[in-house]
Amino acid sequence: MTKINFIACPECDLLLNPARPLLGEKVHCPRCGYLLQRPRKQSIERTFALSIAGFILIFPANLMPLIGIKMLGNSKDGTLWSGVISLFEEHMWGIAILVFLSSILFPLLNIILSLLISTSLFFNKPNRYLANWMRLLQHMDEWAMLEVYMLGMIVACVKLASTSELKFGFGLYAFVALLIITGMLASSLDKVLFWRYINQLKK
Amino acid sequence: MTITSLGVGEPHTIVGGILSLIHAGMVPIAMLVLVASILVPLLKLLGISLLLLNVHYRWQGHAKKWTVLYRIIAFVGRWSMLDIFMISILVALVDMGRVAQVIAGPAATAFAAVVVLTMFAAKNFDPRLIWDNQR
Repeated sequence: MTKINFIACPECDLLLNPARPLLGEKVHCPRCGYLLQRPRKQSIERTFALSIAGFILIFPANLMPLIGIKMLGNSKDGTLWSGVISLFEEHMWGIAILVFLSSILFPLLNIILSLLISTSLFFNKPNRYLANWMRLLQHMDEWAMLEVYMLGMIVACVKLASTSELKFGFGLYAFVALLIITGMLASSLDKVLFWRYINQLKK
Repeated sequence: MTITSLGVGEPHTIVGGILSLIHAGMVPIAMLVLVASILVPLLKLLGISLLLLNVHYRWQGHAKKWTVLYRIIAFVGRWSMLDIFMISILVALVDMGRVAQVIAGPAATAFAAVVVLTMFAAKNFDPRLIWDNQR
């Protein structure tokens, strides 16, 4: 049987001949304009390095105080967790779980999965879960919302600034660094290349 | 959410929050909240309905524009979580018993449900349907 070598555009199902773009080129679907591939320099190495950096940063970003306030003589520090815990104490289970998932669990899983995948690709170690991890990572991308959390934090600071004294903790610096790292991670990960390597490792 | 300050409790709505930001002179931030928490969810629901009508009645032409609409809806959804995160931060920070306290209200759950459900709705819409109907 001759091997059919076509790819289908994931957004409009147009059958296409796969292209092998060079660095700096972008491949768009000719019909709907979907960005099919955008090769990155040293995609695997960079993803590997960035996910290690992210894995280190996620601990201070989670555990150390982000912002503290001083109001009428009382002071209080807020971490990523304290919002979740306070919401739980007020019996707002739904929101507490939602905030926990989108600001703590999914960003963490995102980084762990990138680390696992890029480690096995970097060291050429086949793993039977690789495809599952990759699929999970693609599904979860949207639900890790660190950058939205950052904006929420800015709005909260603006609201508090008039009535209380704000101070920024070390956790905030780690959080901002983590934000930058996850942004770079998302752009360095070339999905088409990763899937091709995963496929090659299986054989 | 309810904000208690010096023993006086006052429920705050999203619209009220935007108005008080405008009164405080924070117009850009007020616009940000307005866009993220009112305009985006509303326009998103409208957009998804239009996409479904398009697919159901097999409207012809402009398939690329419809695909762009789908992409905007899918991209923009997560930013509405801004308000939920803001509440979670305020609830954690402003917690000084009777002096000053922020308590999340019932609308917070409803709003979170809107955001999550519309995100699922956008995820479950298959843009290929737009192209399948074109002759």
